[in-house]
Amino acid sequence: MNTEDVHQLIDARYLEPPEPFVQTMDALDSLPDGRRLQLLLFREPHPLFKALRQNGYIYESRLTDDGTFEILIWKNAVAAVV
Amino acid sequence: MQSLLSFERAPPLWAPLRFLLTAPLFLAGAGVLMLFAGEEVFTSRWMPASLAFTHLLTIGFMLMTMLGALIQILPVVAGANLPSSRFWLVCLHGALCLGTLLLVAAFLGAAEAFPWAASLLAGAVGLFIVAAGVALWPVPVTSPTIAGIKLSLFGIAGVAGLGVSLALAIWRGWTWPLMELTDLHAGWGLAAWAGVLLAAVSYVVVPMFQLTPAYRARFSWWLPPLLVFLALIESVALWGGWSMLAKMAEWCMAGGGAAFALVTLNLQRQRRRARWDAPSRLWQGGLMAALLAFVLLPLSALMPDWVDGSVMAILFGVVLGLGGFVSLIVGMLYRIVPFLLWLDLQQRGVLSHVGKLLADRPMGVQMKMHAASVALCMMATFWPESFSRLAGLSLLVNGIWLERNLLLAVRRYRQTLSNSA
Repeated sequence: MNTEDVHQLIDARYLEPPEPFVQTMDALDSLPDGRRLQLLLFREPHPLFKALRQNGYIYESRLTDDGTFEILIWKNAVAAVV
Repeated sequence: MQSLLSFERAPPLWAPLRFLLTAPLFLAGAGVLMLFAGEEVFTSRWMPASLAFTHLLTIGFMLMTMLGALIQILPVVAGANLPSSRFWLVCLHGALCLGTLLLVAAFLGAAEAFPWAASLLAGAVGLFIVAAGVALWPVPVTSPTIAGIKLSLFGIAGVAGLGVSLALAIWRGWTWPLMELTDLHAGWGLAAWAGVLLAAVSYVVVPMFQLTPAYRARFSWWLPPLLVFLALIESVALWGGWSMLAKMAEWCMAGGGAAFALVTLNLQRQRRRARWDAPSRLWQGGLMAALLAFVLLPLSALMPDWVDGSVMAILFGVVLGLGGFVSLIVGMLYRIVPFLLWLDLQQRGVLSHVGKLLADRPMGVQMKMHAASVALCMMATFWPESFSRLAGLSLLVNGIWLERNLLLAVRRYRQTLSNSA
């Protein structure tokens, strides 16, 4: 997982729902093109994943040894051009 | 972007509520049965009243709640949607209710009800497995939760298959090894179905609702398949007549359950939510009861003279079933029901707070009643004549109070909705 282009990190591991969803959506509004948002959570946020897909975002999720899901989100360049 | 905060994947409110609000009535029903049958429930696990009581708890309360909760949380934890058409949910709920009642009647003497009960319950479970299987099939296994939920479908198929076979064997008087098959049925039910599902769902809901650290990834991946593997080993061992191997598989399942309870208690110890509310206490108590049960199981085999084996078997069932699983499920009900009512209010654009829908005080009162029920049932295993009816009465009140609390949340939801109109 390439974390070099991370523009902002949201550590939502100890936040109650729907706070991780709200903070992520707010952060995506100001995410520059070509940069990534990194989200840390103790679960896979499937409702968020669906919202991202519907809005032309791409994500990658990885489960680490301590049970944290590291999620990288970025704008789909093709969708942005279209 | 904020407009996306609609949780559009959540099923309609009535879909899970139908199941979650019915379950406490079966808990109360188990109390009524104990009140009337008295000491027969505790005389032996093979007595008709004992078998009827067990299934009121395991199907009427536990399975009912688990299916209702799965309908609600599958979209959230796995991104899979079960069909939410009213028709199939009414069929599933109706078959489960009627099937449970008929099974209880069959155990209590109406033997001709066995095939009807078996058909309805097999139909309900089969319907659920197909619906959940179709929804989960395309979902890649990207988390231990998804892996565990998929495995639990295999577990419930095993429990239901064995249960239907047993019902038909009793009805037709087949000369099958009923006691061994019943142990297997219980092993699959407690470990491969309920245990696996509870663990898989806990990986998400414990950190989410109690603000604890996460379960370690390696532990999360290994526990569910290990429990199912041990249930398979137990099955093969009983089939081959290797009773020692079957016993060892049971003890290993207990070891897996104990590891889960210890890990979860340790996570609870590190929680960031300062206040210990009733649901958290119910989880803590449930995990400690489960630990006690998992210690009792090998202890009774290693020291057979300590307590009569029949008493120990019933005590194990009471401590693990009522003290463990029911406590954990009640704790989960208190999280899920107000949360989904709140979610529905959010979807309608009505501002509210989860804590306002169901306050801690009524939950705390019911939690104390539940603790009293568990204690009285444990005492009734040793002194059935003195405590069984009192235990039944306490369980009846416990179930009614749980229903009352959940309906209280529904009433506040309706009030909030009408006030906003």
